[in-house]
Amino acid sequence: MIKHHPTFELLKAFVAGDLPASLSAGVAIHADMCDVCQQQIAQLTEQVAEEHFKVEENLLNRFNVDEQQSLEQLPVNNFENMIADITASNNIRVIPAQKEKTISFKGNNYLLPRALHNMTLGKTAHIGKLSRLRMQLNENEIHTSLLHIEPGGGVPEHTHKGFELTLLLEGSFADEKGAYVKGDFIMLDASRKHHPISNQGCLCYTVANDALHFTQGINKLLNPISTFIY
Amino acid sequence: MQTNLLYQETNAKSIKMLDEIEHSKLCLWLQDVAENRNKQAFTHLFNFFAPKILRISRTKFSNEALACEVVQETMSNVWRKAHLFNADKGAATTWVYTVMRNVTFDMLRKIKGNKEDTLSEDIWPINEPVANEDESYEDHLAHDNLLKVIDTLPQAQQEVVKGFYLLEMSQEQLAKQLNLPLGTIKSRLRLALAKLKVQLGDYHD
Repeated sequence: MIKHHPTFELLKAFVAGDLPASLSAGVAIHADMCDVCQQQIAQLTEQVAEEHFKVEENLLNRFNVDEQQSLEQLPVNNFENMIADITASNNIRVIPAQKEKTISFKGNNYLLPRALHNMTLGKTAHIGKLSRLRMQLNENEIHTSLLHIEPGGGVPEHTHKGFELTLLLEGSFADEKGAYVKGDFIMLDASRKHHPISNQGCLCYTVANDALHFTQGINKLLNPISTFIY
Repeated sequence: MQTNLLYQETNAKSIKMLDEIEHSKLCLWLQDVAENRNKQAFTHLFNFFAPKILRISRTKFSNEALACEVVQETMSNVWRKAHLFNADKGAATTWVYTVMRNVTFDMLRKIKGNKEDTLSEDIWPINEPVANEDESYEDHLAHDNLLKVIDTLPQAQQEVVKGFYLLEMSQEQLAKQLNLPLGTIKSRLRLALAKLKVQLGDYHD
């Protein structure tokens, strides 16, 4: 059973669209495997939408100053032109059926989670029983990868300079704190040393940043995580 | 129809959450756009959402032109993707919010000098039926029960429900098969689902 989930703050930021693509994808993949978080996200989205689109009296009156101002401040198009422009074409957007995509590590095929379908994949580097494939997200100090560990492999003891998210996609691994299963969303901060070992082998989605360029917004957001999970 | 009618009774309070009537009105307009490509309904939606989207996107983009682009792009998606909206799965406001959030996310990624990729649709799919999960967990007993309830529907609705859910025909195929307009198929399905919901009770919620 999945034991490790994103914090409430992280879910809220996810719903607001405030997380970088790397972490957004992590939360999305976890939610696909976790009904509890999925429901919480649905609820939060509904609340946030309601909050954004609530009726304010001063916006409703056609002759109100605020509304009038927003209309006048439109630089090129006024709203009516926009409507005409949009409805000029009757085409609808046909969304093709989602095709499955797989990814292969050392002869094993894995389904690529949907959230990663359109990310540019880099080259795979192999170090012993580890294979690491970088996702080219161009998020500066944030590095995103798929990490594959062959049975009996592990990551040497290390600490993190900033944060490190490990999302278990397939298989299992264990560290000093216990065993993890498919879907576990494990967020570690700089204070944690760990030494994960995978007896059966596993595939993880990892996101890590470099402390030197820690941006304040994300830092603030992730601070509670160490105390929440560990 | 005048959009202003919608708001007349709201004058008592300066800010209020949307009530049921407003929610169902937005929902009907969205469905009217999806089924009939109704420009009037779209104009109502536009008048409701566009000023609010503009106000929100001004807090995310300092550049006025970009804030307007969010409005244009979001409302354009509403026009072109309205058929993906499913009233059984959530409110119209939630759906439009999702469209707006996705547009904003991709645009922010673009202007931050990252890449011209479009990741939002993969991260927050708007065409994936979230509530379908329930159905896949249904056991045979629930399935039998459902069949009995379907049999209590009027004949016309039964045909559509059975064709769609049991024979897995598309709405377009059903329209052809039954020689009916697509809009009729859709509204029959909707009516039937609303009835089924009542029949089966709301204990799922």
